[in-house]
Amino acid sequence: MKPAERLAFAERPERRFALAMAAPGVLVLIVTTTLPLLYLIWQSMHNINLAMPGMDRFMGLENYERMWGDERFWAAFGFTLIYTGSTVAMQLVIGLAMALLILRIPRAQWVFRIAAILPIVLAPVVVGLFWRSLMLTPDFGIVDFASRSLGLGSHNWLGDPVLARVSVIVIHTWQWTPFVFLYMLAAIAALPSDLFEAARIDRANAWRRFRYITLPLIRPAIIVVVILRMTVALSAFAAIYAATGGGPGTVTEIINLYAYRVSFAELSLGYGAAVAVVLLALTMLVAALLFRVRREA
Amino acid sequence: MRPGAALNAVRGGVLMLAAATLLTVWAVPVLLAVLTSLKNEKEVLAYPPSLLFEPTLKSFVTVLTGPTNILPNLTSSLIVAIGTTLLTIIIAVPAAYAFARLKLPGKKPAGFYVLATQLVPPIGLIIPYFLILNKIGWMDSYQGLIVVYLTFSLPFAIWLLVSYFEDIPREMEEAALLDRASRWQAFWHVVLPQARGAIAVTVTFVFLNAWNEFLFAVVLGGATVKPVTVAMYNYINTEQTLWAQLSAAALVAMFPVIVLGILAQKHIVSGLSAGAVKGTGRR
Repeated sequence: MKPAERLAFAERPERRFALAMAAPGVLVLIVTTTLPLLYLIWQSMHNINLAMPGMDRFMGLENYERMWGDERFWAAFGFTLIYTGSTVAMQLVIGLAMALLILRIPRAQWVFRIAAILPIVLAPVVVGLFWRSLMLTPDFGIVDFASRSLGLGSHNWLGDPVLARVSVIVIHTWQWTPFVFLYMLAAIAALPSDLFEAARIDRANAWRRFRYITLPLIRPAIIVVVILRMTVALSAFAAIYAATGGGPGTVTEIINLYAYRVSFAELSLGYGAAVAVVLLALTMLVAALLFRVRREA
Repeated sequence: MRPGAALNAVRGGVLMLAAATLLTVWAVPVLLAVLTSLKNEKEVLAYPPSLLFEPTLKSFVTVLTGPTNILPNLTSSLIVAIGTTLLTIIIAVPAAYAFARLKLPGKKPAGFYVLATQLVPPIGLIIPYFLILNKIGWMDSYQGLIVVYLTFSLPFAIWLLVSYFEDIPREMEEAALLDRASRWQAFWHVVLPQARGAIAVTVTFVFLNAWNEFLFAVVLGGATVKPVTVAMYNYINTEQTLWAQLSAAALVAMFPVIVLGILAQKHIVSGLSAGAVKGTGRR
């Protein structure tokens, strides 16, 4: 039988077989993810307060109207943008610089690859707790110790509004920069080396080689890693929860944490659902970006 | 020595120094945790922090055998992580094979759908699940938490496996089909053995993500199902933090994922960016 005939012959059973293989996965996802999300949207149009059971009622878009005038929501929204923007930017710049640096070290690159694994595999809640206790506690934490030793004095790193924001941003950056580093390392190592040889013969210096050869070639990898890190930063939770719990007051609340606190501390599940829907929309916007990039790549 | 060589030596030294600094920054919190876990609770509070002290394993003994030991929590984590991993693999492997290799009707939209579900922020699911699990009586139950964990592990595993399945050569599979093997036989006897490595990597990352999960566990778990990530709070309360015990417990809890991460280090980039790019950095 010729391959083309065989294909035509095999096609119909193949389709049926393919459906049987894929259906359980897709069905489970519909039941476990899509249906609860529809329920979330339905919840967001209700007044559901666990402290006042029996008071549930449909209220249309009232929760969303309330959000529009809710200063704490807008503060969380703003900090989400700051948090996502700054952590992703720092991860990219430091991670890329590190990859370029390590590639120039002839020996022992594996030490860095192994060390980079450490932050990545730790549970974010453990990372948050380590930083909160061992690193940042006034008087005992190593960062405070270093600050005092350098004559900069002791600070309430997680209690001061500005320092607390900087701290949670640093913690997230600390945990995920190694991932960007490894990603960039792989992307640069995959580039054809003869290009660099040619540039070296043309006496292009290191900066020009980076600017005009490496950077354009790894652009697709950069775009993907940026979007990937954005989706992760948008749904960050455990590290901030462990380090500051959103405090002092509400200054380190990102939308995620705000929705959590509204729902499970204030027990106002309807309004919390509405806040979560907004975060969902924001994440899907970033995801749409990802789809576009994948199609172009 | 030529001046160029001297310059190179200096440059090399600077590079090494910069690299060493980075290495330290990554390692410090974990090294501090190791040091702290070996101190007694009084030594922990010494200022300046002491580097030379008499190490004791007392904290480890306490977190493993004391009244607030984490053994039940390790068991909880193990049950949830293994249950999640098993279910995920059973469902994801056939689905990924269909997406990667077969003429699946509606492949493109279905693939996008799976990728989109992977990006859903957990907070969007936890609010509905809180009410749903309450209604069906699955709060603080293993089956409840495992079902919820499928929401992030399943799309992740499908996409990771798709990228691996696409790389498996088709020749043997086609030869088997020509030999009148059924589709299922070709999948089971020819493709699966070739995908063993890919499945091992997927198992590693699904387990790791389930083990490290915190938000779902803290809201939907309870006294019965209390994974180690939640149990860390046993050592922290409003009056005091038991630093040495917290450090010891965290190290015990993180030991399995650190080992898994190092074992799977070659795959960590592709493993954590499943679906974002077709076949990234699999070297």
